[in-house]
Amino acid sequence: MEIRLAGISRPEALRYLGMRGPVPPDVDGDLDRCEAILRRSVCPRGAWRCFDLCPDGTLSGTAFRPEGQSVRELLRGCSRAVLMAATLGAEADLLIRRAQGKSLLDAALLDALCNAAIEDVCDALCADLAREFAPAFLTPRFSPGYGDFPLSQQPLFAAALDLPRRLGITLTDSFLMTPQKSVTALIGVSDRAPAPKQGGGCAACSFSDRCLYRKGGATCGR
Amino acid sequence: MLLDGGMGTMLQQAGLPLGVLPESWNITHPEVVTGIHRRYVEAGSQVIFANTFGANPLKAAGSGYDLEELISAGIRCAKEAAGTHAQVALDVGPLGRLMEPLGPLSFEEAYEMYCRVLKAGEAAGADRVIFETLSDLQEVRAGVLAAKENTSLPVWATMTFEASGRTFLGVTVPAMALTLSGLGVEALGFNCSLGPAELTPLLRELRAWTDLPLILKPNAGLPDPVTGSYPLAPGEFAALMETAPSLGARYMGGCCGTDPAFIRELAKKQAAAEPAAEGRPRRYGICSARSVAETGRVRIIGERINPTGKKRMQQALRENDLDYILSFGIQQQEAGADILDVNVGLPGVDERGMMIRVIQGLQAATDLPLQIDSSDPAVVEAGLRTACGKCLVNSVNGKRESLDAILPLCKKYGAAVVGLCLDEEGIPETWEGRMAIARRIVEAADRVGIPRQDVYIDCLTLTVSAQQSQAAETLKALRAVKKELGVQTVLGVSNISFGLPERQQINLSFLTQALAAGLDCPIMNPNQNAMRKAVAAFQVLSGEDAGADRYIQLCAAMPELPPAAVSAPAPGGSKPEANAAPAGGGSPLREAVIRGQGSEVVRLTEGALSQKTEMEVIEQELIPALNEVGDRYERQMIFLPQLLRAAQAASAGFEVLKARLAAQNRPALSRGKILIATVQGDIHDIGKNIVRVVLENYGYTVLDLGRDVPPEEIVETALREKAPLVGLSALMTTTLPAMEKTIRMLREAKVPCKVMVGGAVLTEEYAREIGADYYARDAKRSADIAREVMNGLAGGGEN
Repeated sequence: MEIRLAGISRPEALRYLGMRGPVPPDVDGDLDRCEAILRRSVCPRGAWRCFDLCPDGTLSGTAFRPEGQSVRELLRGCSRAVLMAATLGAEADLLIRRAQGKSLLDAALLDALCNAAIEDVCDALCADLAREFAPAFLTPRFSPGYGDFPLSQQPLFAAALDLPRRLGITLTDSFLMTPQKSVTALIGVSDRAPAPKQGGGCAACSFSDRCLYRKGGATCGR
Repeated sequence: MLLDGGMGTMLQQAGLPLGVLPESWNITHPEVVTGIHRRYVEAGSQVIFANTFGANPLKAAGSGYDLEELISAGIRCAKEAAGTHAQVALDVGPLGRLMEPLGPLSFEEAYEMYCRVLKAGEAAGADRVIFETLSDLQEVRAGVLAAKENTSLPVWATMTFEASGRTFLGVTVPAMALTLSGLGVEALGFNCSLGPAELTPLLRELRAWTDLPLILKPNAGLPDPVTGSYPLAPGEFAALMETAPSLGARYMGGCCGTDPAFIRELAKKQAAAEPAAEGRPRRYGICSARSVAETGRVRIIGERINPTGKKRMQQALRENDLDYILSFGIQQQEAGADILDVNVGLPGVDERGMMIRVIQGLQAATDLPLQIDSSDPAVVEAGLRTACGKCLVNSVNGKRESLDAILPLCKKYGAAVVGLCLDEEGIPETWEGRMAIARRIVEAADRVGIPRQDVYIDCLTLTVSAQQSQAAETLKALRAVKKELGVQTVLGVSNISFGLPERQQINLSFLTQALAAGLDCPIMNPNQNAMRKAVAAFQVLSGEDAGADRYIQLCAAMPELPPAAVSAPAPGGSKPEANAAPAGGGSPLREAVIRGQGSEVVRLTEGALSQKTEMEVIEQELIPALNEVGDRYERQMIFLPQLLRAAQAASAGFEVLKARLAAQNRPALSRGKILIATVQGDIHDIGKNIVRVVLENYGYTVLDLGRDVPPEEIVETALREKAPLVGLSALMTTTLPAMEKTIRMLREAKVPCKVMVGGAVLTEEYAREIGADYYARDAKRSADIAREVMNGLAGGGEN
């Protein structure tokens, strides 16, 4: 399904560019121009599906059993799990690739804006899901490649959501998604309120020992 | 003729878990698969699609089954159900990996994989092959060529479109129609994604662009986003399909959400369906995957990718400087070219390899259809094989040898062709002589099955200062060819004025007269405003540009500049400060680089060359400016966007130096060679590309191997090129082992080089752990490392 791209978080885009402090007006203007290009070309899409959780942790009707301690903690107390995926589509990759032939600055700005946009798209999709599943509770979303949720489970994830057909997302040998501005994530569905800090956060992140934000005393906010 | 309905959903209903390869059931549950086929045959399906959609080398690899076994078992199940009542199609889906340029899969790899599938399908007794659910036109091309070159199976092909009228990869309906009709498929159409109602307008569009029978296999409507269920009942589905035969659909069935009940309803309705009416308007043109240059209006063929008489372009071809060559494609697209001519023939350059690389690059960088320009049939074929879409071949002529070599290639790949009015006797001096050759070319094209609409006759422009009477003969020939042969016409325009002053006056006048005489495609430089506007003005006068909208837009985008504004910047008109920090004391050139003012840098570099050598400009102006920018970046006075803006401005200055050296036949400047690559398994490359531009700005020759580069290739290139510094990039933790392996292999092969590594997941400690000499945390640092390594070689200290 198509997802409307409401706001693209500018602070998020600036963070990807490594910018701190007040934004010079010319950079702000360039970002406005690139955001307009992005909005004209990109049509974000998303897909999701809810599965019952079997006692062994397998998603009912699939061959997919999400692995790892972080997933087990995320899904503790959950009876169902939602698999979600979102993408900015091939147009976003093409836009960034083509910009590189003309202006590396534009390419870097577009890349940062796309990174921010796909997060915004995921947030919008998750907000829809929260309404959809109310009064049940949803855990934060958790993606393969974070914590000990192995990226090698992406093929099972993709098959369970039929991603090539529904969103045009395919995987490389090393389980990276193409188009690149794509996200897959697992969300637990529970009938009772989740324990605070369940899932997400630095503790669950495999980057935590080398994260530049943490080194600088901040977090990436996830 | 009736096809079948969905297979995947039927298998899931029979208990196939998601994530298990559906084709494995051909072996483990053949009775279930055969049973589904049988229900379709009983419902009236005359062609059933075997359960082989995902049987390809990539998907079979992890399944534990042999590919050939999956396919032969799938065909066996279908044939058992079909008996004598139905034909069996080998069903071939996408390979499941994105193709270049956006993904890692090459055309040749896709071709080889499809070969295996198709040979297995033919051996197992399939009656035909259907490629379906594809969204990449290049992937379909690989499959269709594999089928044509390795089997005798008739080929059908359907692609999956969104309601926007494009596939996930931006392929348009006309591009699909022109390309696949040209490649000789037997029928083509749509499947999956949309329902019959949404596909009807697309079917109407498809029919305008092809004479072939159409295939229609829609979903049972648009799925509910929450439940995933499809809304249409069998009767509703069949009712919506009723108009399809009148729009050219000859083969109809269903895709997701349809079952035998849908086929039964279709069978009932189809008995009463009206066949397609004849005599509809057909549309023609050439195309890329994403855009069409349609006949019936003036199309500009951009001539600038051609080394003839261009020293800097020749140098770029010799040095494999693709970025420079591709920039001409981008500039011409922006200036309004409709088609790009590609000529990369230069003595000492591997023309075939270069043609392939330039076409791949152009198709990644622009949307325009291509004109493949070479006198070597092997180069033409390599170009036609590589290019996605329907190309124009430049050229064939009236010589028997040329006709025999080029026309069959055009037919095979579905290309249009430029025919030059010359033959063994040379160029006829009379218009009648040229007309006679044109006629011969058209007849020869007819014989191999290339339609008139795909023949573009070039009546040839001669230099008016040498052969004055010939301009009029060319125009007469043009008029006659256009009137009598019903072909398209092309003409190179600027040859006309060689040897005369104010050449543009002659060119403009000739262009205008030629357009009036029936020229469809001027081959010209669209970046010359006056020429570009002359075409636009003609389109207003001919009525083609309704309301003069495009002309008005063009004039707004390219205003005439008063002469003064060209030579000097308007007072007070300089751009606002580009950087937050003031540009420190220094020469105006240095300040312009620091502020990121590209056009100022070009002007000032040209000025500086009156007093300094090229190397002095680099050492005394550009590099000190970049060092200043780097310092400010390190002190966080400026950030990545300002750094990049300055880098681009410096690049513009370097280009001035390079062009001057090339024009004077002097060797290019280099402060040393650096090899860079994103390691195997990783497809992120924007960081690496930023590093490349910054290093080039410091005067280094950067050999960029691209992304997802195997360690062997890096080692081999480093040895061959003797690069003293190798830079490796990786963004993902999962690809760090590939980085480590590459470094190990470089050491084992005793490559005399230093290694720097960079990427978001790396740290100083980790870089050391995996054996790197340097950790480059950003592009600025990579330039510092390069200086250290190169100075070490020269035995000098820091400067």
